[in-house]
Parts: sequence; structure tokens; C-alpha cells
Amino acid sequence: MILKAQIAFLIAVTSFVSAKVDFAHEVLPILKENCAKCHTNGKYKGGLSLDTREALLESETVELGDSQDSLLIQVLTAKDEDERMPHDADPLPADSIATLAKWVNEGLAWEKGFTFKKKTWRAPLGLKKVDLPGPEGGNPIDRIAAAYFQKNRVQPPAPIPDARFLRRVSLDLVGLLPSKSELEKFETSDRGVKRAAKIKQILSRDLDYADHWMTFWNDLLRNDYAGTGFIDGGRRQITGWLYLSLKENKPYDQFVRELLNPTAESEGFIKGIKWRGNVNASQVPEIQFAQNVSQIFFGENMKCASCHDSFINNWKLEDAYGMAAIIAGKPLEMYRCDKPTGEKMDAKFLFNELGPIDKSLSRDGRLKRVAELATTEENGRLARTIVNRLWARLMGRGLVEPVDMMSNRPWSEDMLDYLAWDFAKNGYDLKRTLSIIVSSRTYQSATVIASKSGESFVFEGPSAKRMTAEQFIDAVWGITETAPGKIDAKVERESEKARAVRASLVKSTLLMRALGRPNREQVVTTRPADLTTLQALELNNGREFVNYLNRGAAKLVAKKERVETLYLEALSRLPSSLEKQVGHEILGARVTPESAADFLWAILMLPEFQFIN
Amino acid sequence: MSKALEFENRRDFLKKLGTASAATLSMGAPRSFSDEIEQPEAKADCCILLWMGGGMAAPDTFDPKHYEPFRKGLKVSDVGSTFPAIPTSVSGINFTEGFEEVAKVMDKGTLIRSAVQPDLGHILHSRHQYHWHTGYVPPQTVAAPHIGAWMAKVLGQRNEAMPAFIDIGQRLEGVGEKEELKAFHTGGFFGSEFGPFLLPYPDQAIGAVQPPKGMTPGRFTNRYKIYKKLISEGLVGRSGSEFQQESMLQSMEKAHRLLSSREAVAFDLTKEDEKSAGKYGKTRFGQGCLLARRLVESGARFIEVTTEYQPFKHWDTHEKGHTTLKRLKSEIDQPIAQLIRDLEERGMLDRTLVVIASEFSRDMMIEGVPGSNARDQTTHKVDVISELKHYGQHRHFTGGTSVLMFGGGVKKGFQFGKTADERPFVAVENPLAVEDLHATIFQAMGISPKTSFDIEGRPFYATKDGIGKPAMEIFS
Repeated sequence: MILKAQIAFLIAVTSFVSAKVDFAHEVLPILKENCAKCHTNGKYKGGLSLDTREALLESETVELGDSQDSLLIQVLTAKDEDERMPHDADPLPADSIATLAKWVNEGLAWEKGFTFKKKTWRAPLGLKKVDLPGPEGGNPIDRIAAAYFQKNRVQPPAPIPDARFLRRVSLDLVGLLPSKSELEKFETSDRGVKRAAKIKQILSRDLDYADHWMTFWNDLLRNDYAGTGFIDGGRRQITGWLYLSLKENKPYDQFVRELLNPTAESEGFIKGIKWRGNVNASQVPEIQFAQNVSQIFFGENMKCASCHDSFINNWKLEDAYGMAAIIAGKPLEMYRCDKPTGEKMDAKFLFNELGPIDKSLSRDGRLKRVAELATTEENGRLARTIVNRLWARLMGRGLVEPVDMMSNRPWSEDMLDYLAWDFAKNGYDLKRTLSIIVSSRTYQSATVIASKSGESFVFEGPSAKRMTAEQFIDAVWGITETAPGKIDAKVERESEKARAVRASLVKSTLLMRALGRPNREQVVTTRPADLTTLQALELNNGREFVNYLNRGAAKLVAKKERVETLYLEALSRLPSSLEKQVGHEILGARVTPESAADFLWAILMLPEFQFIN
Repeated sequence: MSKALEFENRRDFLKKLGTASAATLSMGAPRSFSDEIEQPEAKADCCILLWMGGGMAAPDTFDPKHYEPFRKGLKVSDVGSTFPAIPTSVSGINFTEGFEEVAKVMDKGTLIRSAVQPDLGHILHSRHQYHWHTGYVPPQTVAAPHIGAWMAKVLGQRNEAMPAFIDIGQRLEGVGEKEELKAFHTGGFFGSEFGPFLLPYPDQAIGAVQPPKGMTPGRFTNRYKIYKKLISEGLVGRSGSEFQQESMLQSMEKAHRLLSSREAVAFDLTKEDEKSAGKYGKTRFGQGCLLARRLVESGARFIEVTTEYQPFKHWDTHEKGHTTLKRLKSEIDQPIAQLIRDLEERGMLDRTLVVIASEFSRDMMIEGVPGSNARDQTTHKVDVISELKHYGQHRHFTGGTSVLMFGGGVKKGFQFGKTADERPFVAVENPLAVEDLHATIFQAMGISPKTSFDIEGRPFYATKDGIGKPAMEIFS
């Protein structure tokens, strides 16, 4: 039996050597192991709920700042076994009691938002066929949206005119502004199905499509043409394979299989990034595999669980190591918070219910098996995760948010389920899903500002998106005619010379980094949406950007109808008469390279230019 | 702690956070987990880090050991230091020859001799530098912010027209290990708003805060007027969400203000009077120290000035260590001392924390720590010195490193920790790990080592897992 004096001593010692007790890493594991079974998530023996800090305070078992006076602590050291907690178990070790006492003394710190109460909604794993509401025919997205709008009493957003549609769809599908002539032709065409025809035509531009989507996939798969790790051979590019896969619109299930069970061209992905020297147990390539595969393909966060059982989701250390063991050369020893546990973990897929991975399989066999489990049709999470990412790219916000937490409830289960089902049933065809989305009236609507956010979010229409660094720079290169002479990516691009160099295919520059192109050390699925002051500085006087402006200005001087041309090229519309007037004022009666550069700058800095809306 | 007190602290902290977080209350921005953490009282308002990139050998700088002058036939194992010890203004604390000026100001600061680093099995400078600058060993699952980004994020700008985090002297292009350097010269998951304002060449710093080359101030102002006019012509309503547009226009406004502000003059070294500029010397590092002083006077929050890391250059001596350090010390001794004197003379030293540090130390014999398997990377693996190029600290040593601190509430003329008198020169008293050193720096700045932000639903702490413990003994 432990005496109170001993505990007091322990507390004194620990508070001398350490700062405040850490709820997540110190307190929570004790509560989970010893108390949670009887006092959380619906079971509240003796009326005590530990679900949240508020619930605990309401129980009046805690006297903040005074552990000796707190019933919660007193019962841990009670001499009478009937009184002592936990019931029918050994008393807690002295250091655990000291930690809890210290926690009470320090005011019962809690992880913001954490609750033991399990979510009542559970994300389904299998695919589900959705009965489309409303009258037959018409775009399925619009049918689901119409029912949704009605139910949520949302006024459907207004349709957008042709020019706005063309600018948006072109930037979204191939990352490029429509050319002046393309725009004119499209606007004057009187074909009834011209938008559908346009979508088809844009999606058939295989190389433009591949160029554009390289940005998205490089961010996700941590692929780049320079970066950490390459210095010691600790990293390998998958550039050639990725580009070809996009160009061919490789079925997504096959795409994922080739990443998980790779050929020499695609093995860079599972190799991960290795820096010279020893690596923390939670960041070895095997664990990187567990984390990245879970996040990228299934929208699950395995980062906490790589070190200890997660407290933000249900993943456990064993789950992370089970995934890691798939690519390990031998059974992996588990490390908890970088300390070996002595336990070995066998290979196990994230969603265990889909089937086991045979212990006797070799590494190659396990990779083949995991590729199977990842892409089996019973694994609806694969399809849901990617269609949600595509939706987020096109609509400005995911059906599920954050896009890496696919166990969160979508704002429309029908929409997610329908798109995922359609995707899987039609050959995992990425272009098909893109086409369905952009063909919808829902997509072809004016952007809105969501009036509710977070868990109470209601979809009211698409939101505006900021151009990525690559879209912005491609647009600037196009308008100023300043694209560099060659690409850095080793890819097969027919008639290379005739093709414009794209920002996604060159090494990152200071300007691109400033505008948000990530280092690709980590998986990036969402880039920051705001223009920051440092970015604004780079756009005001950064050498790279100023150089494009000056060269572009010289060309603008030589053009006719400069104001109109620039508006059409940059904003896909003609200037209003007021804007025309301001434009002419700036350019002056005799246009100089300086006045042209200033006008160009002003247009490129407009939010209307930098946002896709 | 009483409830009332907790509430007061929390409110104060939120107030303090106010300026910093106003800019980031945006979609996807990290949310602070730590508004219930008690922040220590700040002893300093700003921090200058003088970075000795490449591994500053303690035995040849601030922690003299047994000295043997160069001679042919000298056994490497007989040499501790390649420079003789010199006294400082504090009795009992000696430096090595070549630091006569810094020695004179030792009575104004604290010398830590017991900083230690993990040896990571195989030395890669940029990896250790990443660790030192972010508190985390790469690779990491989330982009770890630089220590300067932490200060920018938690404490905010001191002056609206002055970037909070300024980095002087390090090029990120055209140098070895540049990708690794880029990986930690960043605001990390805080976003680029908190990233470094890069000034690789101090004498060209003014260019970064002026209108573009060739543009007169009049034209620059006019260009901005046109821009505002086009926006006010009614286009703004058509683009972006209200918030994003607003934030974009605000950033443009801030940038414009900085580029036409009075503070910009602080970046212009030609505006310093010749006599005082002369005291910093003509080297890039000296100029960097001068620039740092001017920027701190104008309200910067965190400034790093580096001797610049380049593989095998400057402090990174794989051979010719002695001769290289002789040159290097002559370049940095005077400006470091002058910076301390200038800050003191202006009454600013008390509220400015100056830290002189490096990713690790060096040794003539041991790579990593005693018993390490790290690969020996010295160029000449000799036991007996036959040429001058063999004479110097040519191995990377992580067992005992010196850190010098001035101002910001640290004790004056104080030594913390010590290393063994005989090889291996490991820290034998008060070893201070990277997270503890960071906690100490953060303590001076009024940031708890447990300060954390929510990224992807997880807390990410100012010091590794929130475990850093400040060395409270060094504060007066």
C-alpha cells in the first residue's frame, strides 16, 4: 500500500525536475488503460464520466489544485480494497498516481476538443449504390445537389456565363488560361452542347493534362526533381512513371497497385526519404510507408499511432507497425515513443476486415497482397478518398474535410457514395469523374462564400480557389512570353520543342516556393490559400518576377489594343469602359516599357486574376 | 494555482498572441493548443542568433584544452587545442587566442560549455543544423518550423513594417546541401507568413526592401495607386471569397508599406556613419552583425546572422583546421564584440538575447561521440602530424559544444556546465540537449517549451514533444 506521504514526495520530486504534466502523453495513457473501461463512452459507473474535462469537473470528484482533497485521487490509494480504484485490479503504480495528482494540482489540463466519447457515425468501408433522387436524366451530381439544397433550404447558386466557365474549367483541368482565340471561338459558338464538347476536348489534351496534374501528384507522392535525401541516394524519383501514368490516364486501381507493388520506375514512392545517419523509429522508411499509404490513399492519419496509440483517432501502434511490417525485410519490432517494446509485429493491412496477409509470404508476396487489398472493390475507401480529393480541387472544399480525415462525415453521403461507386464501377477512370463533376450545373455555378464552417458546414455552391504557384507562373509565362527554354523533369513529351515549358516540370525556384510550392519533404494534400506578406513582397520587387514583367512589358508595347488584349488573356473578359479608361491613363499616350510593366503588374495582382472563380 | 490567476495569465497570453494570430485566423491555419499553458515572463523582446555553421570546435574557440603548437612529428593524441588559452574579462574563464575582443565582453554574458547533440550515427551537417534550428531531427511527418518562425508566430512582429524573422548571410542556391538547407529555412506548417526574410548579402539588403531596381519611388507609388483604382472600379466583388480577397489586399498593402517605409533605411548599410561601420569590418559576417544591430533597433523580432554554411568551408574543417580558424576568428572576433558593445551602449542589451552557437563541436580524434560508429570524415587520417594541413579539429564532435549568450536576462560573467579536462572532452557537468537549449532560449523570450499548435489534429510543440527544460541557472 502506498502512503500519502510517499506520493507527496513523488509529486515534489517530479515537480522539481519537470514542468507541467502533459495530458496527451502522460495522463491520457493512464486514464485509457485503467479508467476508461468503466467511466467513459456511455459507461459511467458510480455516475463518474471522464469523457471530457467538463464532465469530470461536474462529477465533483476533483478539487482543482488540491489532489489530496480530490476524491479522484483519494480512491486510488484507499486502503479498503472495495473502495480502491480501479476495482478488481492491482493498485496503480506510484508514479502513475503521482502523475494524476500532479495533473489535478496543476488544474486538470485537457487536450482541446478531446473526448472519450466515440463518434456515433462510422464511415462505411464498402461501396454503396445510391438511388438518385429527382426526375430521370440529367447530371447525377445535380440531382443529388437539388435534393440536398431543398432539404437544407439553400438557394442554388446562379449559373456562370461561358467565359467564366471556360477560364475555370481550363485552369482546373489542365492548369492553363484559355487563349484569346479559344475564348472568342467558344463565346461565339452557338452549339447547344458546346460546354460538353469543350470539356471533352480539354480532357483529350493528354500532355496538358499530365503537365497540370503532375503538381497535384508530386505533392501527394513527395516526388520532386531536387530535394532532401537525393544527396545520399536516400531517395528516388518516380517522375517518368508518374508522367506516363497521367498521360495514359492509367486506371487508378492499377496506378495504386504499381505504387504499392512497384516496378523499378515506380519504387521511389515506397522507398521514402532517408537522410544520412540513424533515424527515429517513428520515421524509418517502413513507418513512412505506413503513414503515407494510409494518408494518401485512404485519408487516415497514422502519424500519432506511429509512436503511441493515437488519441485523435482509433489507430493503435499495432496498426501503424502492421502496415510498416508489409515492406519490412523481417518482422518489425515495435517502438513506443522511440523506445523498443520487445514485441514483434506481423504485416497487417489497415482495414483488417478485408483479409489477412499471410505470415509465410515473402516481402514481394506481401507487396503483391497489399496492392490487392488496397484496390479490391470491397475497399470503398480507396475510391472515396480520391473522388473527395478531386471534388475538393474542383469545388474548393471537400465533401469530407479535412481531406485527410476520411472517417469524418461528408456533408452529403449520397454525393460521396455515388461518385465513389461510379468511379469504381467504371474502371477507376479519373478523367471520367472529373468530367462528371465539371459537367454538372453545380460546378458551373457562381462561387459562394460558405456561411457556415466546421462541423455545421452546409454546401451552398463552389468556392473560389487561389491559383497554385504553378498555375500562376504558367499564366505569367504565357502572358509575358517568358517561359524558360527547357524542363527539368525527365519525361516523355512528344514534340518537346514545340511545347511550352510548364512550371510543374521545372525545379522549384524562390518565387515558386514563396507562392506555396512545398519542399515535398512531407505529403501535401492542401496548399495554403492565403497570399502572405512575404509572397506579396516577392511579387513587388522579387528579381524573378520583375524580370518576367519587364520582358513581358516590352512585348506588350508592340501589341495592338493592349488593354483589351491583356484583359482577355489574363481575365478572359473585356474591360469595362471605366477599366479601359484607367488602362489608357496608365499606359499614357505614348506607351513606354515602364508604363506597360506597371499596367501588367496591376492586372496580375488583381484578386480576380489570382483566384479561380 | 488559483483559478483567477490562471485566467489572468491566459488572458494576457491571448492578448500577446493577438497580433500574431490575427493574420492567421484563416482556413487551415494551425490552431493553438496552448492557450492554457502558462507562458514565462519575457526577459527579451528580440533575439539575434550568430550562427557558426559547419561545426565550431570548442577546444579551438571558447573551451581551451591542452595546447601544443604545431611541429612536425607531433602526435595527434597529444593535442587538445591548436590555439593557446587567453584570459577573458572574467577570471576563471579562458578563451583561445584569436578571440581577444570577445574575451573583453565575457563579463557581459554567459558561457555554456555543455551543449550536447545526438550523433545520429553519421554526420550530415545540414541534418544537424535542421535539428538545431527546428528542435526536431529530420525526416519529420510535418514540416517543422524554424526557431525564428516560432518566435514570429507566437510573439508576432514588433514593428508592422519590419519582417519578424530575418535571415542574414546564408545562400540557398549555388551552395552544397542546398536542398537540405531549404528544408529548415522555412516557416514550416505555420506557413510562409512566418518564414525567413532572406538577405544573403548584407550590403545588398536594401535592395530587398526597395521598389524594384530602376523604379523611382514616384513610379512605385503611382503603380500602387493604379492598382487600387482598378480594384475600386468594382472588380473585387467578383473574385475570391470575402476573406481571401481581404487577406490578399492586406498583404499587398503591408508589402507596399514596407517597401516605402522609413524603416527601410535600416537595411541600408551605407547610411551607417563610417566610423561605427568600420568597427564591424568589411567581411560579410561583420556586415551582417552591423545589419542585425540596425534591424533590431528598427524592430525585428528574430535575426540570424551566419558565417554561412558551405560544405568544407569556414568552420567545416576536414583539413587545415588551424589555419582556417585563424582566418575565421580574425573575421568574426571584432564584429561580435562590437555588436555586444553597441547594443549595451544603446541600452538594448538587456532586452535583446544574443546567442552564438553551432550545430556541434569538433575534435582532433573523435567522430561523433566516444564509441560512435559514425564514419570518420577527416581528409587525412594520420596519427602523427607531418604537415600544417594535418593540424586542426578535423572530426565532428557532438559530446560537448560551447554556446555563448548575452543579454536577455542571462547572468553576466557566468559559466554553465563544463567538459572534461582530458579527451574525450565530453560534457561532464549540466549536459544541455538541443531541446533544453531551445527551452532556455524560449524561456528568455517568454515562450513555454510546451507551447504547441494543432497540425492535422495533433499537437506540435515548441520543443520536441514539449519536453525541453530551460537551464534556469543561467538567468539572473
